[in-house]
Order: sequence, then structure tokens, then C-alpha cells
Amino acid sequence: MNLVKIFLTALLIDNVVLMRFLALCSYVGMTADVGQSVGMGFAVTFVTVLATAATYPIYHLILVPLHIEFLQILVFIIVIAALVQLVEFYLKKNVPGLYTAMGIYLPLITTNCAILAVTFDNITKGYDFAEAVVYSVGVAVGYLISMVLLAGVRERTRTSPIPKFLQGTPILFAATSLLAVAFMGFAGLIK
Amino acid sequence: MIKVILITFGFSAILAFTLGGLLALFQEIFKVVRDPKVGAVRAALPGVNCGGCGYPGCDGYAEAVAAGNAPVTKCAPGGKDAAERLAAIMGVNAASESVVAVLLCRGTKAVAPAKGEYVGIPTCRASKLSAGSVKLCAFGCQGFGDCVNVCKFDALSMGDDGLPHVDYSKCSGCGMCAQECPQLLFAMTPKARVGSVVLCSNRAVVKATVLKTCKVGCIKCDACVKNCPEQCIAMVNGIPVTDYAKCTNCGICVQKCPTKCYRLLDGVKTDVEVVETAAAV
Repeated sequence: MNLVKIFLTALLIDNVVLMRFLALCSYVGMTADVGQSVGMGFAVTFVTVLATAATYPIYHLILVPLHIEFLQILVFIIVIAALVQLVEFYLKKNVPGLYTAMGIYLPLITTNCAILAVTFDNITKGYDFAEAVVYSVGVAVGYLISMVLLAGVRERTRTSPIPKFLQGTPILFAATSLLAVAFMGFAGLIK
Repeated sequence: MIKVILITFGFSAILAFTLGGLLALFQEIFKVVRDPKVGAVRAALPGVNCGGCGYPGCDGYAEAVAAGNAPVTKCAPGGKDAAERLAAIMGVNAASESVVAVLLCRGTKAVAPAKGEYVGIPTCRASKLSAGSVKLCAFGCQGFGDCVNVCKFDALSMGDDGLPHVDYSKCSGCGMCAQECPQLLFAMTPKARVGSVVLCSNRAVVKATVLKTCKVGCIKCDACVKNCPEQCIAMVNGIPVTDYAKCTNCGICVQKCPTKCYRLLDGVKTDVEVVETAAAV
């Protein structure tokens, strides 16, 4: 039950993009069409879970016993970046189809702030390993959902008569704020 | 205190070496074998990334050639030499001729008056879009040097006469100026071309309007078409076009042309030869 609660909180109530305003750069950059945003969303999901699985044991098994917790930012960034590189090598050789599908997204998200935030949250919220993995999946799927929502909105705005001063990024953020207001309705979902 | 520093240092070093080693190992284990031809083709190209071939830079073209998706003759800066090198690598025949850019307009400031004072964005494309043309002639050179800016080989320069001049010792024939010119005034001409050429692009339908807008424009009098002994000149869209398969370089069209639009080419050598000398003919 606790796991479901963590998942839903991460997914809707504390949606990483719409309620916490993280990862806005890739959110704006990668939502030109729905297909692209789905690809980016799945790539982020994959990397987030992987990053959690790698950084959580490093923190609790190495950094804490050695009393060098202050190194976590540095270590996490390096570990995540290296990890993504390793995965990229593997995919390039063994799953070239997936590699070309993920293409530029994989290197792009190596130090995505949402991913780094998840790894820090896992520590500060005091989760155990299972909770941390569920939490990271929740955050990443939340990111995927908001990406797809905005991509859908963008496809509609492309053919809409938008006032000139709002065209481009302004209308994007206006739409994002409306989406965020809608997501505030989820706040009472879990007591 | 010193202990923390040592531990931090030690841990960072171990982490760095572990990750570095893993990356190196993975790169070796999961090495993707590339077609060796790509590297050979890329090395044979000049590497100026001009984009004249239509591919994203020399790397893109090299991959397309190595995969057999592109002809070996597309590289204009490399010209015949590059085509032959590529052909040797790919095992095909190269039939390529070097081309250079020739400006088909002689509307200098002196002979082709401006409509008025143009105060808009100083590029050819902008003046063409906003004013139609800065000159009375709607087909002539705008003279803002879009072609000069796009030339990667420093072969073009804006002359005092208001026209761009080509330095044929530098022109590689990449064709970027021809793509950039909003008036389509540059003709990519084989360097060894022999025959007559009309240095005017005025396609105005009404004959009488041409002389008002430019003193050296083609007035569509058909004198060249009628007088050519080989009958190798034909009017195409208001401009006489020479059929170089038949042209004997006799020079009759050059003599007959009332506005002196014609030039005889014996290989494109210097800009002066193309643009100015024949004013004396």
C-alpha cells in the first residue's frame, strides 16, 4: 500500500514537471510532436530507474560508511553520466534498432535535472531500495505524461490563430501553467 | 580533518579509474565495425564542409558515397581530382568536369539605374522580397553581396561598380552563390567552356522596357538567333541560349548584338575577361 502511495504521489501530486518545475528544458525542447515526446519519456524512465539502482547502493554502502556524504552531487553526476555512456555502447552494438530510436535522447538526458533530483530525493526522503525504485518509476512516468500532454497541446496550437506576441515559447508556458493548475486538483487524492 | 581529505581523494580516484576503465572496456567489447571505405572516402575529400553536394558536410557525403547512395562526382571543391580519388576507392568511373560561377548580369551602377534610395535590410534577399528589386531592372544584380557572404573560398568580392567579381583562381565551383542569389544570376559553367554566352538575365516580355532599365540588357531583338550560321541559338524564356554542341565560336553573335550582351569564352579564365573586355568589342 505504501508503495502505491509513493508511486501516485510521485506521478500526480508531485508531478516533476508541472508541480515541481524540474526538467523544463527538455520539456519544452522535446515536445514538438507526440511521437518524439513519448520516445524521450521512455528514455528518461529507463535512465531514471537505472540511475536510482546505481546511486542508491553507492550512497548507502560507500559514502555513508566513509562519512563523505557531501560528495553525493559530484559522485551522482559522474556515475549517471558514465552509466548512460555504458548503456549507449551496449545498445549501439547489440540493439541498434533501439539505439537509433533513442538516438540523441540518451546522451541528452545524462544530467537531466529531473534524474538528478530523483536520486537526491531517494536519499533525503529516507526510502528503502524498493521504495526508491518505485518512486523513480513514478517520477519518470509523471514526466512522460506531462510530456505527452504538452505535445498534444502543441500539435493543436500549431494550427490555431495565436496572437503574434504569444507565438512560440510564451504560449507554451501559458499552456503549461494551465496544465499545472489542472494537476493541482490531484492534491487531495491521497491523505 | 586530513583523514577526510585523504578518504575523499582516494574514493574519487578509485571512482574515476573504475568508471574510466569500464568505459574503455565497454568501448572495446561493444566496438561497432564501420565500413573502412567511409574513412578512406572522407580522407580523399577536401573537408571544407561547404554543403555543395547536398549532404550535411563532408562526413555525410562520405557515408553516402561509401554506402553507394551518392555519385562520386558531387564534390565541387575537390573537382576532378577528388572525383577520381573517390572513383578509385569505390571502383567506379568518374566523369566529372570542373565548373565555376559566372555572373549573368552586367548591370553596373553606371548602366542600370536604381529605382530610388533603398533603406531596408541590406541583403539581396530582403531587397528582392520587399522592393522587388533595387534597380529599375527587376532581374538584375541587387549588389548587396549575399553571394560574397556565402562564399567559403573568398573567391567573390564586391566591386566598386556594384557587381560581385569572381576570382577564378579561387572559385571551386561549389555552387553556393548560385543557390544564394535571389535573382539566380550565377551560372555554374564548365571551366573549359568554349563558345558564346549572354551576360544578361532580363526576362522582361516587353522589348522596349529593357533599354529603359539597363543599357546593356538583352532587348530580345533576335539578331543573334537569326544571324548564327550554325543556328545554335534559341530564345528560352526571353534569353538567348547557345547550344554548345553546335557552337563553333565564330563570334558573329557577339558582333551583331546591338547592346553588346555577348561574350566569347575560350575557357573561363578571369573575371575581367568575362565582364569588361568585351565592352570594347
